[in-house]
Amino acid sequence: MTRSFASSLPFPGAAHAALADSQLRSNLARATTTIRAKRDRVVGELPDFEELRRAAESVKSDALARLDELLLELETNVRAAGGDVHYARDAAEANAIVTRLVLASGAREVVKVKSMTTAEIGLNDALAAAGIDAWETDLAELIVQLGDDLPSHIVVPAIHRNRTEIRATFLEQMGRRGVPAPSELTDEPADLAAAARAHLRDRFLSAKVAISGANFAIAESGSLVVVESEGNGRMCLTLADTLISVVGVDKVIPSYQDLEIFLQLLARSATGERMNPYTSIFTGVTDGDGPRQFHLVLLDNGRTHALADLVGRQALRCIRCAACLNVCPVYERVGGHAYGSVYPGPIGAVLTPQLDHVASDPVAAALPFASTLCGACFAVCPVRIDIPRLLVHLRGEVVDATRAIGPTAESTAMAVAGYVLEDSRRLRLAERLAARAARALDRRGRVTWLPGALGGWTASRDAPLPAARSFREWWSAERAGSSGAAGSGAARAHSGTSAMRALVEAMRPRRQTPRAPSGSARAPGADDARDAVLAAVRHALAGSPARDGVPAQRAYRRAGEHVCTSPLELFTTRLEDYKARVVHVPPAGLPAAVNEALARAGSRSLVVPADLDPAWLAGLDRAAIAIVVDTPELGALELDRTDAALSACAVAIADTGTIVLDGGAGQGRRICSLVPDHLVVVVDARDVVPSVPDALARLQPGSPQTFISGPSATSDIELDRVEGVHGPRRLDVVVVLDVRDTEVRDGEVRDAPGAPARRGRR
Amino acid sequence: MRIALFVTCVNDALYPETGIAVVRLLERLGHEVVFPPEQTCCGQMHLNSGYRTEALRLARRFVSTFDPCDVVVAPSASCVGTVVESYAHLAEAAGDAGLLAAVRSLAPRVHELCELLVDVLGVTDVGATFPHTVAYHPTCHSLRVIGLGDRPARLLAEVRGLRLVEIPDATSCCGFGGMFALKNAETSTAMVGDKLAAIHAAGAEVLCAADNSCLTHIAGAASRLRASLRSMHIAEILAAQGAP
Repeated sequence: MTRSFASSLPFPGAAHAALADSQLRSNLARATTTIRAKRDRVVGELPDFEELRRAAESVKSDALARLDELLLELETNVRAAGGDVHYARDAAEANAIVTRLVLASGAREVVKVKSMTTAEIGLNDALAAAGIDAWETDLAELIVQLGDDLPSHIVVPAIHRNRTEIRATFLEQMGRRGVPAPSELTDEPADLAAAARAHLRDRFLSAKVAISGANFAIAESGSLVVVESEGNGRMCLTLADTLISVVGVDKVIPSYQDLEIFLQLLARSATGERMNPYTSIFTGVTDGDGPRQFHLVLLDNGRTHALADLVGRQALRCIRCAACLNVCPVYERVGGHAYGSVYPGPIGAVLTPQLDHVASDPVAAALPFASTLCGACFAVCPVRIDIPRLLVHLRGEVVDATRAIGPTAESTAMAVAGYVLEDSRRLRLAERLAARAARALDRRGRVTWLPGALGGWTASRDAPLPAARSFREWWSAERAGSSGAAGSGAARAHSGTSAMRALVEAMRPRRQTPRAPSGSARAPGADDARDAVLAAVRHALAGSPARDGVPAQRAYRRAGEHVCTSPLELFTTRLEDYKARVVHVPPAGLPAAVNEALARAGSRSLVVPADLDPAWLAGLDRAAIAIVVDTPELGALELDRTDAALSACAVAIADTGTIVLDGGAGQGRRICSLVPDHLVVVVDARDVVPSVPDALARLQPGSPQTFISGPSATSDIELDRVEGVHGPRRLDVVVVLDVRDTEVRDGEVRDAPGAPARRGRR
Repeated sequence: MRIALFVTCVNDALYPETGIAVVRLLERLGHEVVFPPEQTCCGQMHLNSGYRTEALRLARRFVSTFDPCDVVVAPSASCVGTVVESYAHLAEAAGDAGLLAAVRSLAPRVHELCELLVDVLGVTDVGATFPHTVAYHPTCHSLRVIGLGDRPARLLAEVRGLRLVEIPDATSCCGFGGMFALKNAETSTAMVGDKLAAIHAAGAEVLCAADNSCLTHIAGAASRLRASLRSMHIAEILAAQGAP
């Protein structure tokens, strides 16, 4: 059994320990400051960022409002694409399904893509109990797993560890499980990433079963979307025979086109990049490419409980970008562990209590109070979750549940305060009494000690003394008889006795009707998990106001609306930002450019798709470079021994510096562009479009798609970005210019025919 | 203009000088100030602590007290935020359509002081003199709930003798958060410690804000540390005419 959050203290106690850890505080302050600046810069580049946020809010809200239909549509389309679909009411059911599927495959080991959902359900422990070894392959998850640690951030789970601590963990632990870390390992992030690559390489190449989550599930096509950086996700999604994806029901979006919103928002909000290095979009099983079996496990686990709450529901819009953590002043001081959940920070404070049911768990019940309501989270949330409003709403739920049991010192004090504040005369009397009582506490104009719960204040802060004369007394004395003194008649006179009686009444605990458990309701007679989850969704939606049928708001720039004077120029600089090497050549210069790219990298073997235009290879030095033609029989181990891969591309995106492969002509299987350490992509300049919406408009929803923005990379160590983890560490892009076309589009011919013009800066 | 003052319970009991400053400032600018005496509290403390029953009663009371007024001013960004932002949520949750309608009618007439001066009265030079080095703390609710923006800075820029200094990382929360300061006192203290260091780095002699609650927190921490920091509500600076 690995460490879990099960033994966590409620927030104030857990925060006490975290605040005492000065190393943690400085790690967090540095990391969150860095990421905030990066986010602000790339968000500022989009003039329609606000419109994108509103569209994202609208699309997710619409999806949640018709989740029952969309789940059925998703299920139908996944099955049509050769996948199997399972439903799980809770963590135990999901774990049992996954365990059964893994055991049935004969595997005793699985590789995992970073997945919040599988962390939420404690899948690794369940697998371990069945004798199955789960390998976390995301660098940060690996750091956490090797260190028997707990994640403290949604996107960067090891954010609380610095490079020195990570090096020590790698040196101590890697050898116990498999390939050890080299003894000369330094604490340079690039070195640490290389150690992770070596440690996991054989695991990927021999994997039979992989487990993932998903960032989005597209109902209309049955596609799943996995957004990542290192290439470990692509390894898991394409190398294993069997792929199992555990996905919360909240991840469903209606259409493929909706992705144009989220792919512009997610990386910018999460890591401060215009686009993450890799996004995989896959649909069921693709013939001859990738896993032969695909299982989708759709998980409820409290989500329908949140869905039933009209205010609470908006937390289900979350796309797990963690922007709210990075700007939260509370998170910055105490870190993620204090939240006692895999979902820390502001979103955790509104999600965990809804998934865990506030009344039953003191850790969950403390979370809505772990915020100053400063609103920094709402200001950055890409799906506009009004977290402060949700926190206040959940505080109300906690207080109602507590009051239903009986009065507490706090609830009594609040009832008395409420009683006093309900009448201006009572307030005036209370102010006079307080001013008199405070004299006892006066220490030269300051109050340095207060009793009971108020002592929390005076432990570190002085309190003000009540004024000897309140404002209303000043007003009566100075402005008496002026127009404002004319009351509206709302104030009622109280005799002393009736006031006292009312006070006693106010202090009596109010009986609250306990809320009926809604989300966990199961349809009578529905034994089957599928029927039960769908029934719970319908039940949760039954209380919603009628859907208005208004289509989602899309006021952002759509396909064809991005003004870009030189997409090719922008594409080039943005891709170079990611440390890719880009050259522009006329058509005749392509063979030489391909040869040059390989020679520069020292690549001596090259895998090419069977349908590649042979003219592209005409310039190769055949004596120096061996060519391997991709076939379905070509295995991962063989590909791993091949230095480079060459591929065409479907479309390229200027704004984000992204190349999109879709399994089309000249591209080969997805693993070809993944396993060899050097990737050369040929881009036709006419396929460079300005924006993400422009690109999606040219792609077919059901095709296996890989969005590549630079070489594989990670920022998991102190948010210091280093290139090269599991995917290709070197990316060369050869842009083939059409000379006349270039003249028209760019206003100038960039490169004379002949030798390739070098564009890379390195 | 006839302007109704909602002084707020905190200012009434702890900071009457803030309310007095608002009265003197608005009168100096030629307006009539009225004080509906039935007013008590907007209910923010109860609402933000989860005590919805009490908050709802106080919201109803606020609405009935101020509904007859054409223009309402309050020297507290968070109280104004409660009225213009949270009351509608409360009314919706309670299923009180009447209250919701009344809130929607009243909310646009309720203004924070700086907002009233700049947007409604159209004035940035209020004729104040305050020869001191001043830092303005943009409180979270003034910044992100009611969107006060640069209005306070524009008002302070016109004050004779005043030198305005910028607090590094000014928009980060001071750690007050109402009951947060009690329930999570240690985290709150860690936050205010960083805020005090930033104010010190700014070289401010006087700290001002549009909310006395946050100032109580920051000044309370400064006082405990025996730091020489004077704090006052922005209304008191805008009302000042000499060199007190």
